[in-house]
Amino acid sequence: MDQSVQYIYWVQHGVTLGYLIGWYLWLISLAEGTHIVAHLSWLYYRSDDYRPLEKVGTFQPFIILALVPLFLVADLGHPERFYTMFYNWHWTSPVAYGVYIITLCMLSYAIHSYYLFRPELIIRARQAGPLAGLYRLLVLGSQEQGSREELLQSQRRRERFWAGVSLFFSFLGLIYLGILLSSFKGRVMWSSSMMVFIFASVGVTGGSAFLILLTHLKNLLARTPAKSISQQRHYLAEFGIILKYSLLAQAAVWFVYLVLMQYTGTGGRLASYLLMDGPRAFQFWFFQVAVGLALPFLLTLFRSLREKPLVASLAAVAALVGTLAGVMNVFLGGQSLPMTHFRWEQLAPEPGKMIFGIVTMVVMFGVFLVTYRILPYENADAQEGGV
Amino acid sequence: MAEPKKMMDRRRFLKNLGLRATALGAGAVLVQAPSLARATGRPKKYGMVIDTNRCLACHGCTIACTSENNVPDGFYRSWVKIIEKGQYPEVSSHFLPRLCNNCEDAPCLNLCPTGATYRTKEDGVVHVNRDICVGCRICVEACPYGSRFVNPLTNTADKCDFCYHRISKGLEPACVDACTGRARIFGDLNDPSSAVSRYMGGKSTQRLRADLDTKPKIHYLYADEAIMGPDYTQLLARR
Repeated sequence: MDQSVQYIYWVQHGVTLGYLIGWYLWLISLAEGTHIVAHLSWLYYRSDDYRPLEKVGTFQPFIILALVPLFLVADLGHPERFYTMFYNWHWTSPVAYGVYIITLCMLSYAIHSYYLFRPELIIRARQAGPLAGLYRLLVLGSQEQGSREELLQSQRRRERFWAGVSLFFSFLGLIYLGILLSSFKGRVMWSSSMMVFIFASVGVTGGSAFLILLTHLKNLLARTPAKSISQQRHYLAEFGIILKYSLLAQAAVWFVYLVLMQYTGTGGRLASYLLMDGPRAFQFWFFQVAVGLALPFLLTLFRSLREKPLVASLAAVAALVGTLAGVMNVFLGGQSLPMTHFRWEQLAPEPGKMIFGIVTMVVMFGVFLVTYRILPYENADAQEGGV
Repeated sequence: MAEPKKMMDRRRFLKNLGLRATALGAGAVLVQAPSLARATGRPKKYGMVIDTNRCLACHGCTIACTSENNVPDGFYRSWVKIIEKGQYPEVSSHFLPRLCNNCEDAPCLNLCPTGATYRTKEDGVVHVNRDICVGCRICVEACPYGSRFVNPLTNTADKCDFCYHRISKGLEPACVDACTGRARIFGDLNDPSSAVSRYMGGKSTQRLRADLDTKPKIHYLYADEAIMGPDYTQLLARR
């Protein structure tokens, strides 16, 4: 191979799976990570005034998981055959398991959310109002009597059971994403044991950032009582600490990944070159490292900064941009490495799919905002206490 | 009272007879199993040997394949990679006919979520069932040889299946038929008397990306190392 080689004829294969699937992977990691951070924090605090944040961390991931299959379906050659993946099941394929894991994850989030909102929904259904009928429908016509405390007590075991189930599926979902990419043994950049850790760190970083951003947004848009806002700011400042350490963990995981790539033959060295000095160097250094890791780390470094809603939201947005860039870098970058020739594989422009993805994201965001106005995120007693 | 005793004897007789017949049958099967297996032989393992010294890079195989299988423009089930190596006056040209390896441990088959990619048991050829393929392109990504693509006419995965419609009628694949230099020899790798087995003889063959242990069934003879895999050194050299 020391002699010079000139390529006369070859076939360029291109990047096969584009932005929509990268988005899909990122949104799933975001949903799973958000629920993991929200629920593990509940296990730590076990405080009633934490419940509004647990609702955000369970119901918003449900919305994401309910809409995210659209990204996959839009990318299929035969979208009308999507449902056949449930019964044409091939046991050696991680995707075959993933279809069930993500579906069960979504269902468990829905049931967990139902129990989280149920006491407030029952109380709201009792009151006269324009949405009382909707609340009655959401609690399936339940006419259970008693105070909020009694309602909470009566459903506590079921609520905790479904919380545990949804947490289990969240972990399974993140592990699935890692296993999915590492199962492509021909793709040197993906076929790494670090994939599970990459998605876990991306999930936790994105999850804590998402919780911070969405809760601040909720407090801005919904009629949140002043008492609840002050309580939630305390938790949000502590989510800032989780974000700070998850950014450190993410940096460590990427460092180990790049070191491992350096010692995985020529292909591995090419993979690390791709990120550090190659075609994805700008996305890596600017979006992933500077915007996604360094900036949010600095913004969450000091308590005084973490407690400011604007600064915390900015840090959260930056961290989300960084995690998206990280997933895209590893996903699209992994396909850029040539399999049969000597040039980087290129992704053909996909304007239609990009527009579809953006519209779906806008719809998703719109659904978040609508639910803030409709659903009782705050505890009933806090709302009764007034602003 | 004698009659019931007689009935019981007959029942016991029939029971003993049945047991002995079953034991005899099972014994006969066990004794004859190896010889039966030898008689039926191992299942076929269709494969190909490509003698790169015989390849002229005429692209006859590419054209034959495209017309035989109605492959759309810009996509290939079979193609020829060409490189030139060295510097004047010591320059050599190398050709590598490419097609799906129909691997024994095919990553595309393992990762297909619906089982649309399957292998026929009787001959080991890897196929795509277009009726259940969802067009997810997982298999295209999984193939380490770049041998798959999504056919824009059917929106399903597509690849070489050794012209199964031809070989199941006893014909040779279109690329083998069209090969000017007779570089491609196709047949049953499990049959020592087949043309492909005889051509390979005791020769040591090369297979693409042997490090991945996918057990490709396309064997190459006399291929230059520089043409066999992806060339990362050129990309790294730009560093």
